[in-house]
Formats: sequence, structure tokens, C-alpha cells
Amino acid sequence: MAQKENTVEPVLYEAHKKIYPREVSGYFTRLRVLSLVTLLGIYYVTPLLQWDGRQAILFDLPARKFYLFGLTLWPQDFIYLAALLILAGLALFFFTALLGRVWCGYACPQTVWTEAYLWMERKIEGKRGQRMKLDKAPTSAAKIRTKTLKHVVWIAFSLWTGFTFVAYFTPIDELAGELLNLSLGPWETFWILFYSFATYGNAGFMREQVCKYMCPYARFQSAMFDSDTLIVAYHPERGEPRGSRRRSVEPAAVGLGDCIDCNVCVQVCPTGIDIRDGLQYECIACSACIDACDEIMDKMSYPRGLVRYTTENSALGKRQHLLRPRIIVYATILLLLCGILVTHISQRVALDLDVIRDRNTLYRETNDGLIENVYTLKILNMDSQAHVYKLWVEGIDGVKLVSDRPEIEVEAGSVYQMVVRLQADEFNLEARSVTVRFHLQAKDGNHLKTVTDARFVGPGKS
Amino acid sequence: MESLTPDKIPRSQQAISVLWPSFITAIIASGVFFSAFNPRDLVPFNLDIDISPLAAYSIGFFLFWLLASLSSFGTLYFTISNCRFLNNQR
Ligand code: SF4
Ligand code: SF4
Repeated sequence: MAQKENTVEPVLYEAHKKIYPREVSGYFTRLRVLSLVTLLGIYYVTPLLQWDGRQAILFDLPARKFYLFGLTLWPQDFIYLAALLILAGLALFFFTALLGRVWCGYACPQTVWTEAYLWMERKIEGKRGQRMKLDKAPTSAAKIRTKTLKHVVWIAFSLWTGFTFVAYFTPIDELAGELLNLSLGPWETFWILFYSFATYGNAGFMREQVCKYMCPYARFQSAMFDSDTLIVAYHPERGEPRGSRRRSVEPAAVGLGDCIDCNVCVQVCPTGIDIRDGLQYECIACSACIDACDEIMDKMSYPRGLVRYTTENSALGKRQHLLRPRIIVYATILLLLCGILVTHISQRVALDLDVIRDRNTLYRETNDGLIENVYTLKILNMDSQAHVYKLWVEGIDGVKLVSDRPEIEVEAGSVYQMVVRLQADEFNLEARSVTVRFHLQAKDGNHLKTVTDARFVGPGKS
Repeated sequence: MESLTPDKIPRSQQAISVLWPSFITAIIASGVFFSAFNPRDLVPFNLDIDISPLAAYSIGFFLFWLLASLSSFGTLYFTISNCRFLNNQR
């Protein structure tokens, strides 16, 4: 079975060869490590942050609220999250058009955790050569010890990752307490294990295969690229013909280009490709090969940049355009959407009023000959403090609002339900059904107000 | 060289192409669905069951995943069987 697969999948689905990326150092590597460490830090620290006596960022599933520092979002505000996702998608388009796959190389969680796991692997199993030798070596006590240590460390880190993930949904102090008391709920346990397992598998084993076979972004990147997009590229005019030579030899004298064919750029590549073959969709633009080749160039005393960040146009010696229609369009839409979202959120009123007319009876006549309709009001106070509200109605001349609760006080973040009756003189009703407008306003804050329309039904003009 | 057809893709990758897109779909579907409906208001078939919110969300998510997987599997299955059929005709 395995034999057969090997023979039929040479192009698109290569049989998986384990990749042992060689360690690199250099300017871009430092930049990259800085970015990866920062992102990891943000992930593990965020659930620990506190705000107003609660977790600063928390998707409180049981209470159906999303806390984002001072902001509390309700399911009604789902639209903001959707808008935020669209915004993130657009930003990805924009940065990809401009900078190519910087996301892949510097920020994608797949890369972030893969590099972290690779780092642990390096610390435990050693450099590339040592790791390859270890894997080839026959089973021995030492090998088992090293491998076990690696997996124990990986699993511990995965569990911490899974725990942190669940802490975005369950307050971390509760979760930690439950863990220490060994009283974690079954689903919390499940999700911690699920996420840990996913991290362990993706960062420890799947690695570049996730980018190659599972990432939708990698597949349609070419649609976002143009000739002015930043890419990592080899300079074939300068490098070819490649070939080994002694350090003292002048390349031109032996008819060679600057590439000494040392294969270091291939060995450092986390996706196992050869950048000298041109732009390939597997390339996650991690820039490891740039640093690696620069180091070789330095050793040979050749100028750096045989492998470098460039654009298709500049590589072809054409003019480069930073501002091109695609960039301008993406940037405009991005800014516009950002603006709309920010204004909306800043003007968002932390109050919602739902009015439901009693459908059992159309209307009723009171003893004083007034027409009466009954409504159920649902007041949702989305603010972080309690408020007292005043309620009034307009839409019918002389309409009277009758309620058995003189004061409407709603606790922070809760729903308050009450029944009110509206009474109006038949004489003032212009049609069988007229619109009435309920106004609700906090007594201590003029901006906390909302308006909801409802129908008032009467006998109609005869 | 003969071009590759989906029926030649290894099993593991076929499994991924069913489970993975449906996983993403399930996340989106659960997000939209549970923003609109509170699981507390959704007592299925009038059963009187008392489950924690997290359990309700999780089960909802897995149902979506299952559903989306069935659809993905259908697509994969028909693609593969059509490939086989067309290959046999040649
Ligand atoms: S080719 Fe270079 S930039 Fe691309 S993934 Fe490999 S090492 Fe990174
Ligand atoms: S690292 Fe540079 S010199 Fe060495 S093979 Fe790669 S491109 Fe050629």
C-alpha cells in the first residue's frame, strides 16, 4: 500500500520526507525571532491580564458575553466581531500585496509554534547533523532517553498551550483552581487535551505540511501577488553557473557565478525547497535562506544578497511601483472599514430595548372608556454599571403609560423584564393601528438612550 | 507523465481534505448560530436535560463538524468516483 502510494504521488503529494532545518543566524533571523517570541508572549500572557476586577479578555460562554478590556460585547454585537474578521482578512490581502508572505514567515501561529518546537528539539537533540544521525541510529538507551525527553517537554508545552487556550473561555483563576483540585469539568478537560494534541501534532510533526497541504492562504497567494510584491528570491544571473571552488579563486576566471553550490540555503529551509529553483508556493518567505547565504557570501568575501528580498520588477531591472491600484484600493477599503467600525463602537449605546405587544388580546377598553394595549418590555443594560432609567412614549396625543413599577433599575449586564400598558383616547387614534415610540434613557447619562417602535391597535375609525 | 487525479491522493490527505475544511466551516457556523440562539432556549425535542453551557456549545460544534464533514465527504467521494469512471472510459 505504502509502496504504491510512493510511486504515484511524485508531484503534488510527495511522500513525506522529514525535514531537518539547519540553524541560522543573521539580521532577518533576529527580526523573526523577535516577532515570534513577542507573539508567543502575547498568547500566554493575555489571559492573565485583569481589568476592572475581571479577566481583561474573555469569551464568557455561559454568560454569553465577550469582554475586551473596557468593552463588553453581547451576542447582539456579533456584527462587530464579524466586521473585525473581515477587516483582518482585508489587512491580510493588503500586506500580502505589499510584502508578500510576511504573515507566513513572521506571524502565522503555525510558524510561531513550529519554530518554538524546533527550538526545543534543537536544545535537546542538537544541531541538524546530530538530529539526522540520531534518527538514523539504531535504538539505544541513549536514543530512547533523548527522544523521551523531547516528547515530555513538547507535551508539557502543549498542555500549557491547551490550558491557555481554554483560559480564553473560562476565567483562568477558576480554571487553575479546578486544575489544582483535580475538579476540571469534562468539557474543559476535553478542550485542553484537544488543543494540546493539535498543537503537539501541528508543531511537532505536521509542520511544513500544514502550509503545503492545509493552508488555504498559501493556495491563493498568487492571486494577491503582483510584480511589485516583496519576495525572497535568488539572483540567477549573478549566481549561475553554480559550482564549488576554492576561496582564493576568482569566479570569473573559472567561468562560475557567485553560487558556490554549498546547499546551505536548502538545508536551512523549513519547507525543504531550493530557493534557486525560483518562486515556489511552498516558500513561506521565512528569509532563513537569505541569512544563510549572506553568511556564505561573507565567508567568500563576495557581496551579500545573492538570495535577497526583492520584487519581480526589480529583479528584472524594471521600475518599481509602491503605490499601485491594488494597494490603493485595498488601503482605501481598509481605512474606510476601520473608520466605520471605530465610529460604530465608540457610539455604541450600552442599552437595548425590546418591545413585544401582547398578542392574546388586540386591545381592551378600560372602565374610563380608554383603549388599552399591553406590552412586555425587555431592557438590556449592557453597561458595566447599574442604571435607573426613565421611560416615555410618544406617537398618540395624550397617550398614558401605566406601569406598576415606578422605578426601572437594571443591574449591570443584565436583562430586566416588565409589563406596561398604554392607554389612549379612541378619538386620538388616526387608524386601526398606529406606531408608538418607546423612549428609554438612563437618568444619570444622556447618551444612554434608545428608541423602539411598536404598534398600538384600536377599533379603528368607523 | 500521467497527470494526477484526486483518486490517487493518499488516504491521509483525503481525510484531511474532508475534516479540515469542515472544521473551519463548523467554527464559523457555531459562531453565527450561537450568537443568534442561546443554547438554554434550545431544548431539543422537549427533552428535559440539564447540561452545562460549555457542553452545549461543544456538542453544537461537533454536530456542525459532522454535518460539514458529510458534505465534504460527498464532494470528495463524487470527485473520486467520477475520476475513476472517466479514467476507465479512456
Ligand atoms: S525558500 Fe527561503 S524563504 Fe522560502 S521557506 Fe525556504 S528558507 Fe524560507
Ligand atoms: S547558500 Fe548561497 S552560495 Fe550556498 S548554495 Fe545557496 S545560493 Fe548558493
